[in-house]
Amino acid sequence: MSASMKILVCIKQVADPEGPASAFDIDSEQKKIVIKGIPPVINPFDENALEAALKLKDKFGAHVIAINVVDDKLSMAVLKKALAAGADELVILEDKHFVNIDASSKAYVLASTIRQIGDYSLVLLGRQTADWGSGQIGMIIAEILQLPCIHLARRVDLVNNGLLVERIRKVGSEVLKVQMPSLATVDSEIGELRLPLLKDIKEASKKPIHVFNASLLNLDIGKLRIRAVHNLKFAPPRKRECYFIEGATPQERGSNLASKLREDRVI
Amino acid sequence: MIIRGKKSFSANVNTIAKSEGVNMVGDQCEERKRTLILGEVENRSIAPITLELLQLGKMVAGKTGDLLSVALLGDNVSALAEVIADFSDEVYCIDKTLLEPRYSDFYVNALEVLCKSITPNLIIAGHSTDYLEIVPRLAYRLNADLVTDCISIAVGDGGQLFFTKPIFGDRLQADIVVDRKPAMVTVRQKSADRVSQGNGKGMVINFELTIDGPPGKIELLETLPGDNVSMEKAEAIVAGGRAFKTKEDLVMLEELAEVLRQYFTAVEIGASRTLVDAGILSRSRQIGQTGEKVAPQIYIAVGISGASQHVSGISGSKKIIAINKDEEAPIFEMADYGVVGRYELALPDLIVKLRELL
Repeated sequence: MSASMKILVCIKQVADPEGPASAFDIDSEQKKIVIKGIPPVINPFDENALEAALKLKDKFGAHVIAINVVDDKLSMAVLKKALAAGADELVILEDKHFVNIDASSKAYVLASTIRQIGDYSLVLLGRQTADWGSGQIGMIIAEILQLPCIHLARRVDLVNNGLLVERIRKVGSEVLKVQMPSLATVDSEIGELRLPLLKDIKEASKKPIHVFNASLLNLDIGKLRIRAVHNLKFAPPRKRECYFIEGATPQERGSNLASKLREDRVI
Repeated sequence: MIIRGKKSFSANVNTIAKSEGVNMVGDQCEERKRTLILGEVENRSIAPITLELLQLGKMVAGKTGDLLSVALLGDNVSALAEVIADFSDEVYCIDKTLLEPRYSDFYVNALEVLCKSITPNLIIAGHSTDYLEIVPRLAYRLNADLVTDCISIAVGDGGQLFFTKPIFGDRLQADIVVDRKPAMVTVRQKSADRVSQGNGKGMVINFELTIDGPPGKIELLETLPGDNVSMEKAEAIVAGGRAFKTKEDLVMLEELAEVLRQYFTAVEIGASRTLVDAGILSRSRQIGQTGEKVAPQIYIAVGISGASQHVSGISGSKKIIAINKDEEAPIFEMADYGVVGRYELALPDLIVKLRELL
């Protein structure tokens, strides 16, 4: 595979999914989610997708382009992490018409961009996002662009001009050879995104960042639809009353747990 | 009634005809509104998720007045179609080899032809690993709105459909309204009880189509068997989290599971996502938002901090027991019993005492 192989990775900026429950609030009137006091991050599954692309770049050489649709407020510092980690270019899609659009509209925006970039071998995305977790955008992009597609890769590699993918199934997995260009969504099993070195962070500021809006992409605005949220609510509390087992040492508490479970007829 | 659809199939997505050339002969389908469930087959029987969807579909169809229809595709599924017919109004059975979810190009094509001929109002599928390569593609071809990973469906007075979907790692929920037809939804495991009461009145309709065409762009080279474990059937689950660093560390969990087998018939080892990503336990044992949703008699969380994404998979457990060295760990808020302490110290004595008692 030539060093010019182009890999496109779609990355979303989301509120840190590890954030405490108190950081997620609801503005009922606006039907909006308000994030308080936690920084945005790149969607962790999309970081896995970027890592998959960078592994291929390490091994075979590739030009990696990260693509982001700005949904809410753009954090350039967060997206630049992709460049620092090893992406070669960043494409930012920003337009007031892109705010709060539904999954199929976002797939349309991304597919149009991917088509415009052109000459790519592989499109990668995370299996789902940590916020709205729709998990359908990748497969819809593949339909729009008529690409062979695999959902849930735990390993990607190249072999004889084809893409080798290990796809996760409910039980076990399958090794597939896929003609390129193709699209795959990846699972966290593919590995965490590498930590950039200080020199990479400095280098990143020299890498190109492109910003496109709907008219530059020649999009039909009429095809974009807002997420049809009727109502937002907090998940019902799952809290239980925890009975803490007493004892002077962990060993004693372990033993007392067994007795308590028997006493309460749990076992 | 036999409906014949003629269509040449190809796994080559570039040449998929968008359903032109579908030639329906024989009796046309009755002009009734339908709620269609995409049935799943697992280990040559009806998958538990399908039984749950039948229960949910019965409720929805009861309110909308739709026929409750099921699509069942696969090799040798006719006998299973007869079983499902007991719980629905009609089962569209496409009995063919190669119609397995793993050949998703064929599968999507077949569903597309079926859905375009019976034009359901609502399509309900399981939010299952093997179907997420299929359902969004079908939605695109049917120009349908798809809401994924939902836990309930409500029908409004005007017939609109509301899908409740946990978002932001299950901290919040959104009710999404869909008023275009068809609406499509994938439903999370364990969102409904399994259907139990059949009425025996359903009819099986053999839907015939042909599959042929040039070789596709995806070639299956190898199937890796993995770990065929049924977490959803487990009565007791002993699950490990971040505290476990190597496979060797699991010995204690296995010993605990072994002693619990004196009391429970189905005991399994479970894992948080961290353990699966680290390659310590297999994917099919992962519990949580992107893994299995379980509801055992007892769930013992060992060295699991209790991230929202994990606990969303265990809330159906009857009793939750947490062992964690950090007394502030969120898992204790979810637990019925808690032991504060390092598992390496607490588990051996727990195991010894259980051996004595059980």
